[in-house]
Amino acid sequence: MATSATPSVALPSGSGTLRYQSGKFSRFLLRDRTLGYLFLAPALVVVLCLVAYPFFNAVLLTFQEKTAGAPGKYIGLDNYRELFNNPVFWRTVFNTIFYTAASVALKFVFGLSMALVLNQERLFNNFYRSFLLIPWAIPTVISALNWRWIYDDASGLINNVLVRLELIDETISWLADPHLAMFSVIAVVVWQGTPFFTMGFLAGLQSISKELYEAAEIDGASVIQQFWHITIPCLQPIIVTVVMLSTILTSAGIQFVLILTAGGPADRTMIFPMLSYAYALGGAQRLGMGATVSLFFFPAFVILIYFLTRRMLREKEI
Amino acid sequence: MIRTKSGSQRMVKGIGNAVLVLMLLWTAIPFYWMFVTSLKYDKEIYGYEATLIPENPTLANYATILRDTPYLIFLRNSTVVAVASTVISLIIACLGAYAIARLNFPGRALLARLLVCTYLVPASLLFIPLFAIMSALRLTDTLHGLTIAYLSGDVPFCTWLLMGYFKSVPTELEEAALVDGCNRVTALIRVVLPVSLPALVVVTFFCFTRAWNEFLYAYVFTSTNAARTITTGLVNFMSADVFFWGPLMASTILSALPPVIMFLIFQRWVVKGLTLGAVKG
Amino acid sequence: MLTRRDVLRQAGGVAALATTTPWWLVRRAHAARREKLVVWSPVALAPQVDRLLKEQCYAYAKQAGIKENELEYVEIGTGQWLPKMVAALEAGNPPDVTRFGGAQVALYRAQGHLLEVTDVVEKMQTVPGGLFDASIRAVMFKGKAYGVPQSVSPSPLVTRLDILEAAKVDPPKTWDEFIEVCKKLQKPPKLTGFGMCLGLHTDTEGNVMDVVWGHGGKLVEADDKTVALNSPGTVQGVKLIADMYQKHKIIPKGAISWDNQGNNKAYQSRQVIFVINASSIYAHLAESDKELYNVTGMLPVPAGPAGASDRLNTAEWMLFRHNPYPEVAKGLVQYYMDPENLRVVMEEGGGRWGPPYKGMYDTPFWQKPGFQYWRVMLERGRQYASPGTMTAAAGEVWATTVLARMMHRVLVDNWEAERAVEEAHKKVVDIYARYPEG
Repeated sequence: MATSATPSVALPSGSGTLRYQSGKFSRFLLRDRTLGYLFLAPALVVVLCLVAYPFFNAVLLTFQEKTAGAPGKYIGLDNYRELFNNPVFWRTVFNTIFYTAASVALKFVFGLSMALVLNQERLFNNFYRSFLLIPWAIPTVISALNWRWIYDDASGLINNVLVRLELIDETISWLADPHLAMFSVIAVVVWQGTPFFTMGFLAGLQSISKELYEAAEIDGASVIQQFWHITIPCLQPIIVTVVMLSTILTSAGIQFVLILTAGGPADRTMIFPMLSYAYALGGAQRLGMGATVSLFFFPAFVILIYFLTRRMLREKEI
Repeated sequence: MIRTKSGSQRMVKGIGNAVLVLMLLWTAIPFYWMFVTSLKYDKEIYGYEATLIPENPTLANYATILRDTPYLIFLRNSTVVAVASTVISLIIACLGAYAIARLNFPGRALLARLLVCTYLVPASLLFIPLFAIMSALRLTDTLHGLTIAYLSGDVPFCTWLLMGYFKSVPTELEEAALVDGCNRVTALIRVVLPVSLPALVVVTFFCFTRAWNEFLYAYVFTSTNAARTITTGLVNFMSADVFFWGPLMASTILSALPPVIMFLIFQRWVVKGLTLGAVKG
Repeated sequence: MLTRRDVLRQAGGVAALATTTPWWLVRRAHAARREKLVVWSPVALAPQVDRLLKEQCYAYAKQAGIKENELEYVEIGTGQWLPKMVAALEAGNPPDVTRFGGAQVALYRAQGHLLEVTDVVEKMQTVPGGLFDASIRAVMFKGKAYGVPQSVSPSPLVTRLDILEAAKVDPPKTWDEFIEVCKKLQKPPKLTGFGMCLGLHTDTEGNVMDVVWGHGGKLVEADDKTVALNSPGTVQGVKLIADMYQKHKIIPKGAISWDNQGNNKAYQSRQVIFVINASSIYAHLAESDKELYNVTGMLPVPAGPAGASDRLNTAEWMLFRHNPYPEVAKGLVQYYMDPENLRVVMEEGGGRWGPPYKGMYDTPFWQKPGFQYWRVMLERGRQYASPGTMTAAAGEVWATTVLARMMHRVLVDNWEAERAVEEAHKKVVDIYARYPEG
């Protein structure tokens, strides 16, 4: 990619910006290496100030007994010890894994189906696409409140309809029944989050060249074969990205659990952001413990991301 | 031969339509409930007999929202913060993602991972120290402050997403441009971005909607109505009185419109982008 | 043209900024700020009260010569006060004045956040009749006052008198009678007997403690150090609640996930006959539903074998030390607590709370039949930690809903009552251990 010849193309520029010259400095600046750092710099600044610094702050918090506004007292690993001895914590670990896995899996299946369907040719496709986006467009908090009410024992939509259709005698406590609560929450999460997958997959599907499919059909491949051997491999980077992002977003998302069940009944729907919130802001006001809970789940994500980016970065283009 | 081909095509089409109908119902029913509630009076909402079709449809709830609450201010705030944080994040992320996806420099892999790792830090961990920083900078209860706070989540997220898309753009296009005499910067602007338009649209849309829906930071960082966004402003009203469902649902309908309208507009760009950047074999 | 020096200088600047930022940020926090008065008012669940409080704050500001842009008055929704306070304290800028119950005064005093306001409280005690004991205890520590009593709030049995009358049934006096009455009068699923809050929220703490007291149980001894939760009385109380929920089915199933508004909503939408709650419901109905208001009574909570259980809560004004204008804040609180201004809020507010001044109950408003028993509770009422007092430790037990969790163990995890009580007792002991000074 040596560009030692001076072309006649000049970049549109005001004074003081880069001009294409064959000067040594300009070539230095436009070399991959400098450009790389330069391009990456703003992102790194944002990340250092707004994420890294608060993050290290929070890590230090996990070793302290600290309430709001008061200086923290260093207590070593006591927070971790207290956490590991707390049965609620282990329940939270199990819940978080189950909740995340189930939600992401369902979102994946529904999202991919929706994307495939929307990718087909039909009238009013644009309308369908926009309409199916609605769950994601509604502010999460309001969605959550609305669903809480839909699940309500007395005035809830579901119970009302079921009672009127005479399918049940007693109302079902969707959010208070320990066996149902988790599934009720997952249903809402899936309802709200599927459009994210749909959009991502749809964009991916639309960038797969039609010619690949045409060629496969000429070769006699069935619809299913085309799906497995063309669609999925082409979508792979997007699938990986979207699934990973959703895993993080879902497991760290507090709004649904907070509003629907606050972790109850009896911690059946307690997931880690809720537990962290409960410690830090829910009466005990123990910031150290809250940070400890959050920090505990962090390494799991790091490992996930490590493997993900290793795969992605390994594929070098040239 | 021809018959079976169109037969299987029709079956696929048929299944597609059936799935579509199911999906539409699944999306529509809760939304319908919200919509219908926004048209009911209080008594009808809270009665034990919840009605599926409003008996006395009314626009009173919308009037309450627009007249008795600073909803329009909340709307303005949400919009400003969402747009600003999206635009800034997009610029920063495009540059960063391009650097990681295409340029070769020492530490590339490490920095990429570092950048992406920061996305893993949950908001529940960050928000208190971040709030302390905002407070000290006198940025709490301001829209600038909230915008900056949203950058912390958007930049890693966008960079990561764009990284993925940039990598899937074939390098032949850029190579052609570079041979033609462009440098990296022009290659980015003139070649890669137009081809990635669908991805950019998707990322813009995600960022905007994330900011639109965000609750925790907005909740903690803003106290007065002048700076509150849709999510926190209305929730505050909601919990201020025992019964507020009607107006809250009215606000839901209003609040869902901007992202949907945005999407309707951007849909054309996605199509346009495709025809512009089609790669012919 | 961009030179190497420019680039390096900018990079250096950014790096320097990033590393030194923490230090000068903290220094800036203590610079002078524009607002002379920042008030956080948690909503009262009765809109007219919120309106009156806001009006009075603005009236005070006008009187004190504070301009509109120097006053920041924020209304905070249910359940949002605590998170915002934690974040604000951590950032070093809490409001100047706020109001809350639940032993927050004790907690924040112990952490060193509160302004000493003994002079204000002493002046209040000169009002004829003085203050209620519970109010005084809530703010005093070693002879000094760190909060200002704002109100007292008993939790009677809010009752649908019309339903009782129609069935010619007398109000139940004991828990056994109560269960019978509920079973007889309820019509599930539309009308359930007892709207007991059982969610993981503070209303549950009060409801559960009412039953526990009735059977002789208690949280802590009078010395505020010896935890006494694990006792036969407590176990019996827990078993009774479990029976009410599972055997007699007089509590709505969804009560397990109710928040503090859950029982309000249930009563106000006519789904339950009885609720144990403060007078927020009564006050709300006064403005929103006159029909229901007229048939609502506030009766004694049923007694158990160990006697009656009248519960009283208090709320206090808190002023924070960080305030650069403490005199303005004190002035606002004194304005609010001036008996004439207070009367307006309390009476025109429909009786949402009661004044902490013993002598203010002779007015026609408080003599109304609806408040008859309510006033008796003011004299007899005990607080959550009784016979102990509402110390910071008691406040944390209440705020972390220890009793609610105990009930969930029994109702959801199917534990034996004894085992659940034992676990709760241990939790309380751990909490009290973290507050050696009480």
